[in-house]
Amino acid sequence: MIGTLARVGGAARLMALAQQLLLGVALLLMALHVAVYVVYAVNLMAFPFDYDQGEGFELNDTILLSQFQSPYRDNEVFPFYASNYPPLYHVILVPLAWLFGAEYWYGRLAGFLATLITAFAIGYAVRRATGQSTIALLSGCAYLASNYVYHIGPLFRQHISMVMFETLAVVVMAGLSESRRPRRLIVASLALLLAAGYTKQLAIATVAAVFFWLFLRGVRRAIAWAIPFAAVGGGIFLLIDWSTGGQWWLNIITANVNQYILGQYTGLLSQFIGLHGALLILAGLLVVYELYLDRLSLYSVWFVAALLNSVLAGKWGAGDSYFATAIAAMCILAGIFAGRTLSGRWRLPRLLSGAERVMPLLSVAVCAAYVLYGAAVIKLPLNLPVFAQIGQALGLQSNTKFPHFYDSAGWTMGYATIGQIPTAEDIANGWRIVAYAQADPRPILSEEAAFSFRSGKPVVTNPTQLLNLYNNNTPERTLYDPSALIALIEEQAFGVVILRREIGQTAILGFYPPPVLAAIERAYALREAIPMNGHEYTVLLPRPEWSKPQ
Amino acid sequence: MNASDWVITKRMLGGLLIGLGALTFVGSLLLDALRGNFGDFGVAQVLGLGGSLGICLIGVSLLPLGDRPA
Repeated sequence: MIGTLARVGGAARLMALAQQLLLGVALLLMALHVAVYVVYAVNLMAFPFDYDQGEGFELNDTILLSQFQSPYRDNEVFPFYASNYPPLYHVILVPLAWLFGAEYWYGRLAGFLATLITAFAIGYAVRRATGQSTIALLSGCAYLASNYVYHIGPLFRQHISMVMFETLAVVVMAGLSESRRPRRLIVASLALLLAAGYTKQLAIATVAAVFFWLFLRGVRRAIAWAIPFAAVGGGIFLLIDWSTGGQWWLNIITANVNQYILGQYTGLLSQFIGLHGALLILAGLLVVYELYLDRLSLYSVWFVAALLNSVLAGKWGAGDSYFATAIAAMCILAGIFAGRTLSGRWRLPRLLSGAERVMPLLSVAVCAAYVLYGAAVIKLPLNLPVFAQIGQALGLQSNTKFPHFYDSAGWTMGYATIGQIPTAEDIANGWRIVAYAQADPRPILSEEAAFSFRSGKPVVTNPTQLLNLYNNNTPERTLYDPSALIALIEEQAFGVVILRREIGQTAILGFYPPPVLAAIERAYALREAIPMNGHEYTVLLPRPEWSKPQ
Repeated sequence: MNASDWVITKRMLGGLLIGLGALTFVGSLLLDALRGNFGDFGVAQVLGLGGSLGICLIGVSLLPLGDRPA
């Protein structure tokens, strides 16, 4: 008997030791991920050009709003520019635009801070639900550690700020049943949801999740709050549409209806599961537990809605960022599952009472899940001190198109080929492109707005916006007619045309609609192809022999 | 929450999911028929039909849980 007790005590000690050891390894891995993320973010803030295609257009939206101009404009009139995103992220940055002008660092800093706030909210939610500080810390760090969040966090893009507003809205609303002031809580959460929706349209799934959960908990209350919410949200929408003469609807709704590529979605889904699988299992188990043995929490409903919404990652122009909301929800659910397991807070039905005996083993397993996750999402700059030594110790070599960057995610269609630290050569080459723009007094036609900002020229065109609208033209309905832009190209009204292509490609490629690209090829000739950030920027100058057809 | 408010039960949620799944299933078939190529399912449609059946099955599994709040 005593021998049996001693054996049981020994096994328990062993389990507890394994648990502590695994938690320690998981914390070390998360510390590495956060360090890599901070270094990446700081380097991006110092980079003066577009790092990810489209960042400059978000800066342009900010600048337009800072000058009290609408970014929802007629694409057929010079400068052929309109934004395809709601304005809140850019409005928030307006004071910084007044102070510092057209700079990338503040938008990237805002994105970076948004990820930190989201991580904090995730940690807070887990701590509130389980009382486990270590797991709360791991949960917040797990969000920052994801390859997808790393990718888009410190960019001048609105997406990650939308995720922040969504997460804050959900975490606030999830405390509803314990709140002494439920009305205030609901108002605060719905205001955050509105902010998320007016940061990026994709937040609609989180809005649906919150109202569905409210509906489950009280039908009348859900309807009573849905009516004023729809009135305010819809009212703002109609007001902007009216004030822009319909350009708002055209540019943020119609222009976002793109071709759907199923292979892109299935590739990203497979990559998403491969990277986040360990925590997805924990999150999924909690959803199943709540579905059959408890009440559904808002986190579970949100997680399912976000996963369903990630189907949109298959749209042309979409990508891995579309999983960011699901990652935030996953981190909270996995954290709650782990926290409850470690603190023995599960309420199991009589049928499963025997399962309590396996709890010590399950505790070790959840700690191992965080280690597995930490190992699965490794990405490392291999040419920086400390990281280089870590990479060497782990036997990592570049597996990306960048010579000094390892990314465990590999690549699939829709996964942005970014993540590397920009080099001094990238910056020097960016300024070489700017020199071409400055050498001619005419405006420039560039696929990235940075070269316009840096050369003091107006930002002309948002090429993907023009392409989306052009692709949606039908015989009955013309959404974008490129003839005015083509006429200017044929008049050689632009001093330089700057397009981007993959290194190794030889054709003149770009995001513009095909007739615009054809006009560029007719009136402009390739002068130089300059590499920057893993892409090649083709600089085209007016053909001297060209004369516009009469 | 008002004490007299209606709370959705597991059984009701099951019914909702069955309805949603059935609607999606029938909707997918109708869309196919309206396009004039009924039965010629692509991968996305097969996934959609499979998904809607899955939702129905989850709904059915919730029915025996009765009046417990969802």
